[in-house]
Amino acid sequence: MRRADQLAGGGLLLLGLGFAVAGLRSYTYWSPTGPGSGFLPFWLGLTMMGLATALLVRSVRGPAADGAWLPTGPGRRKLLAVLGVTAALIAVLKITGMAVGTVLFLVAILRFVEGMRWPSTLAIAVGTAAANYLIFARWLRVPFPEGVLGF
Amino acid sequence: MDFFANLALGFSVAFTPFNLVMAAAGVTLGTLIGALPGVGPVSGVALLLPLTFGMNPVSGIIMLAALYAGSMYGGTITSVLINTPGESASVVTCIDGYQMALQGRAGPALGVAAIGSFVAGTVGVVLLMLMSPLLARWALSFGPPETFALMLLGLTTVTGLTGEDPLKGYMSMVLGLMLAMAGFDIISGDARFTFGVNEMLDGVEFLPVAIGLFGLGEVLVGAEQVSDMRILRARYGLRDVMLSAADWARSRWAIVRGTVLGFVIGVLPGAGPTIASFLAYTLERKVSNRPQEFGRGAIEGVAAPESANNAASSAAFVPMLTLGIPGSATTAVMLGGLMMWGLRPGPLLFEKNPDFVWGLIASLYLANVMLLVLNIAFIPMFVRALRIPYAVLMPLIIVFCVTGAYSLNNKVWDVGVMLVFGVVGYAMKKLGYSPAALTLALVLGPLAERALRQSLIISDAGVAIFFMRPISAVLTLLALAAVAVPAARALRQAVRGRARAAAA
Repeated sequence: MRRADQLAGGGLLLLGLGFAVAGLRSYTYWSPTGPGSGFLPFWLGLTMMGLATALLVRSVRGPAADGAWLPTGPGRRKLLAVLGVTAALIAVLKITGMAVGTVLFLVAILRFVEGMRWPSTLAIAVGTAAANYLIFARWLRVPFPEGVLGF
Repeated sequence: MDFFANLALGFSVAFTPFNLVMAAAGVTLGTLIGALPGVGPVSGVALLLPLTFGMNPVSGIIMLAALYAGSMYGGTITSVLINTPGESASVVTCIDGYQMALQGRAGPALGVAAIGSFVAGTVGVVLLMLMSPLLARWALSFGPPETFALMLLGLTTVTGLTGEDPLKGYMSMVLGLMLAMAGFDIISGDARFTFGVNEMLDGVEFLPVAIGLFGLGEVLVGAEQVSDMRILRARYGLRDVMLSAADWARSRWAIVRGTVLGFVIGVLPGAGPTIASFLAYTLERKVSNRPQEFGRGAIEGVAAPESANNAASSAAFVPMLTLGIPGSATTAVMLGGLMMWGLRPGPLLFEKNPDFVWGLIASLYLANVMLLVLNIAFIPMFVRALRIPYAVLMPLIIVFCVTGAYSLNNKVWDVGVMLVFGVVGYAMKKLGYSPAALTLALVLGPLAERALRQSLIISDAGVAIFFMRPISAVLTLLALAAVAVPAARALRQAVRGRARAAAA
């Protein structure tokens, strides 16, 4: 956690700096009528810099030994698999369409990550995609991405 | 009689067939969401918000409010039978609830929770109904300085109270405010922090962020845990959940105390049902004449916190409806919903949208009645739902996250934002940051900025204007105290820790 705190503290310190600089230079800090569009970003940036510095100081002084915050072993593999498959679904959404994408996504997770048997996997995947389509596309009239197959 | 006319209007709205169906769907889904570990009321509301877009706002809020109330009831089932809280406001119920279940008294534990929840929920709505119009009328006199001071108070108290680490809580809040800066500035028309991306002109939209943080983020935290839940074999049929005279005698005052405490805590901006349930449990143990039984299956230890969390969930609507400041993470997401439906939360809501406010209030009465029946007679049904393996539930929630985020603007961009904030939410949760504070800041950010700048424009004395008007002075001082007290405590602890290290 200590290392994570230092990374987060460093990153947020830079973000704060970026906001403070942008507030002064890219946007108007003070306009003739009063505070401009850069006013609050500047002060937010300064506040974030203060908080991030406090976190950095604390993490340097804190106890050296502490547990890892990211999982290891099977937990990590599963986390990465779920995240990867979700990102893949979003990437191909426009090509496959929502319905086919959902089925592929569920098959990938249920069959290949969770090790479920084919019959239940297919039943859940097709059932969910159909329910999703009926609720959102038919009932709520959300124009789903249709994909190259036309549905 | 203005008041009764309003209430009659509310019930006429609540009793339309579609709204009745929405309330019933809300309580059922809410109980289920409360019962399932890994999805709580915030995720539930964020995930279902997209379903309400096509609806009349009244129907939408009725479903979401019923869901919120239902989740407060449902969380108990998991706490008592699995010793795992279904949602955070039922954490403390595990202590005595699970002990009761081990002693074969799961039935009375679930029964007293349902009855306590019903009493507290109903009394909470009565108080909400009586208090809100008065508060709204008072808040009508607020100018920009008061509005800003109030938002500052809401932001600082939520942050100070929700996270385990106040420093990280404040960092989450400032990050949320920073995100709120992106997009067109309403006063000057400048496009800020868009980096040339067209989609960023509208700013960082609240819904994909909320779905990412609370939907996908929670699922990812759950995904890495390889757990096996064991549901205790117990009797919870209709006859088993009835209370004996002795149980009732022990729990009735606990219910009353839990209700009062829960409502008071819930009304405060920033303190929601979770804090209320913890305080109610502590209070009950203090006033009890047999404190040694707490932790070993004392029925008061279930009755008090379960009443308190329901009273607080009703009370959380008071600041949200009258002031536009949410009292909990869940109402913060609902507030975002209100804005998406095109309503302006705040005191004018009572004048401009009486059907919305009173329809909501009337539906909360109905929801509590539905929930009492559901949580006395249908417990076995919800226990069966608990047997759905997380392996199946998890991908279904992700599909819902993806579809929900997409349906906002029918753009894949929003789904990408959702994914990014899913990862952010996962990291925040694991590292002790506060997604609730970030969300609240993102929702309130644009309103707070406008109030701040308007205040400074009308002020001749710079920021001193916040201390020159009585109401805003009190609110600002309270907000500053909400930051200063935890900061001073942390500093004192650090100094003491170093002194001890030097002495050793």
